[in-house]
Amino acid sequence: MSDAAIQLQDVSKRFRLAHHPVATLKGAVASFWKRRFEDLWALKSLSLEVPRGQTLAVVGRNGSGKSTLLGLIGRIYLPTAGHIEIHGRVAALLELGAGFHPDLTGEQNVLLNGVILGMRERDVRKSLDDIIHFAELEKFRDAPLRSYSAGMTMRLGFAVAVFTDPQILLIDEVLAVGDQAFQAKCLREIQRFQESGRTIVFVSHDLDTVRRVSGRAIWLHEGALRADGDPEAVVKEYLSATA
Amino acid sequence: MLEDLRELWRYRDLVRSLVMRDLTVRYKNSVLGFFWSLANPLVQVATITIIYKYVLQIGIPNYSAYVLCAFLPWMFFQMSLSDAGESVARQYDLLRKVYFPREALAIASVFANLIHLLLAFGVFFVYLLWLGVSIQAGWLLLPVVILANLAFVMGLAFFVSALSVFYEDMTYLVGVSTSLFFYMCPVLYVTEQIRNKMIPQHWQPIIWEVYHWNPMAIFIEGYRQLLLPPFHAKNLNDLPIEPRYIVISVVLSVAVLIAGYAFFNAKKWQFAERP
Repeated sequence: MSDAAIQLQDVSKRFRLAHHPVATLKGAVASFWKRRFEDLWALKSLSLEVPRGQTLAVVGRNGSGKSTLLGLIGRIYLPTAGHIEIHGRVAALLELGAGFHPDLTGEQNVLLNGVILGMRERDVRKSLDDIIHFAELEKFRDAPLRSYSAGMTMRLGFAVAVFTDPQILLIDEVLAVGDQAFQAKCLREIQRFQESGRTIVFVSHDLDTVRRVSGRAIWLHEGALRADGDPEAVVKEYLSATA
Repeated sequence: MLEDLRELWRYRDLVRSLVMRDLTVRYKNSVLGFFWSLANPLVQVATITIIYKYVLQIGIPNYSAYVLCAFLPWMFFQMSLSDAGESVARQYDLLRKVYFPREALAIASVFANLIHLLLAFGVFFVYLLWLGVSIQAGWLLLPVVILANLAFVMGLAFFVSALSVFYEDMTYLVGVSTSLFFYMCPVLYVTEQIRNKMIPQHWQPIIWEVYHWNPMAIFIEGYRQLLLPPFHAKNLNDLPIEPRYIVISVVLSVAVLIAGYAFFNAKKWQFAERP
C-alpha cells in the first residue's frame, strides 16, 4: 500500500437534471411516460492521488466540479464510475453548523454534532470543555442555540469539527468565519493540522489563501483536470486563462 | 445489507443522540413535558369513551381502559410514520454536507416514539391498578408483542422516510392513509364486534380472514388480551386470537422490516442528489 490518503481512479460523476421536476407522487404517476433527464457530468474520468500530509487546494470556476470532488471524498455521493479509496477518517468543514437544533443548548448541540461527525459520545464528552473554550462560548453553554448570533453558531461548528480530530479535513469555502481574531485562530488551527501530518483538501476562490496555505494545487475545468502542481504556477495559469 | 448494518452499529451513538434530541425537544427539557405530551391521547380517549359509553351505549365495563390500551400503540404507529416521513426530508441540508448512515434518522424517529410508548404504558399500568385490574402473568409477554410491533412500524417507516425525500406529497398521502387505516384496527371497537348479524353469513369468514391479515390489528388485539381481563359484555363473546394469525403477523412484520431496510438502502445514496 502506498502512502496515499486519497486515491481516485477514473472517477466520473453524473447528476441527472429533470426537465419536468417531479416533486410529487401524483406528478410522478401522471408524467411517467414523458419524464426526461438531462445528464450532467460533473466529473469526467478524474484520477488523482493525494499523499498523506499534503494540503491540496482546488481551484476552478463555478460548476467546474470542485464541490462534487469534495462530496465524493466525503462520501456524500457515490461515484457513477471509477474507484475511490480513502485512508483515514474524513471530516468535512463544508458548511458549519449543519445539524444544529435551535431548541437545544450549546452543549447539547456540541454532543449531537460530534456524533453526527462520527465520534463516540464519550469522546465528545471528554473534549466538551475544550470545544466550548475554543469557540469562546463558555457563557452561553446552557443557552438554547436560537439565542446565538450567526457568528457564534459558526464558531461552535468549527470548534466541533476541529476537535473530531480527523485524518483528512475537507474545507469548502468556509475559512471566512467569525471576526478577524477568530479567523486567525482558525488559520493557526489549520497550520497545526498541517504540521501534525494531516491531509487537507480545500476549495477556495481566494487565490491568496491558496498560495499561502497549500502545498499543491489543482485546477478543475468542466469536470476534468486542467493543471496540477505547484500552487504558484497553477494559480498563475488559472489567472491567465480566465483573465 | 450486512455491511450497512455494521456501519450502522459503528454509528450507534448517533442513533442514541438523535433519540435523545427528539425526546428533549418534544418534552421541552422537563419531566412535566412528558405528562403534557400525554394530554392529547388522554383527551381523545376520554372523548371516545364518553361517546361510546353514553351515546352509542357499547356496554363494555371499564371501556376507557380498552380504548386507551389500543390507542397508545395506535399513536405509536401514527406518530412514528409521520415523524419518520419528516426525519430525512427535514435534515436534507445535513445530508448534502455530512456522511453518516442515513437510516439513523429514520430509526431514531421510530425509537423516540417507542420510548414514548413505553413511558405511556407505565402510566397506563398505574391506571389499570387504580381500576382494580390485578397483575397478570401475561404481562410478561408484552415485550414480544412490542418487538413484533416495532419491526412492522420500522419497516413501514423505512419506506415512508425514503419516499418522502423524493416526493413532497408523501406526508399528505401517509396522513390520509393512516387515518383510513385507523378504522381497520380495533381501536374504537373490539375485534369480536366484526362478527355480527349485519354482515351476510357467507361474507363473514372472508371478512374475518382479511381483517386478521393486518399485523397492526393483531398487535392491538394482543395488547388488549395480554393487559386486560376479558370484557364480559352482553351479547359479545370474548375470542382469543387464533395462533395462526399471530404467526402470520410476526412473519409479515419481519418481511416488511427487511423489505423496508433493503428499499431504504437502495435509495439512501441518491438522497443527496435528487433531481
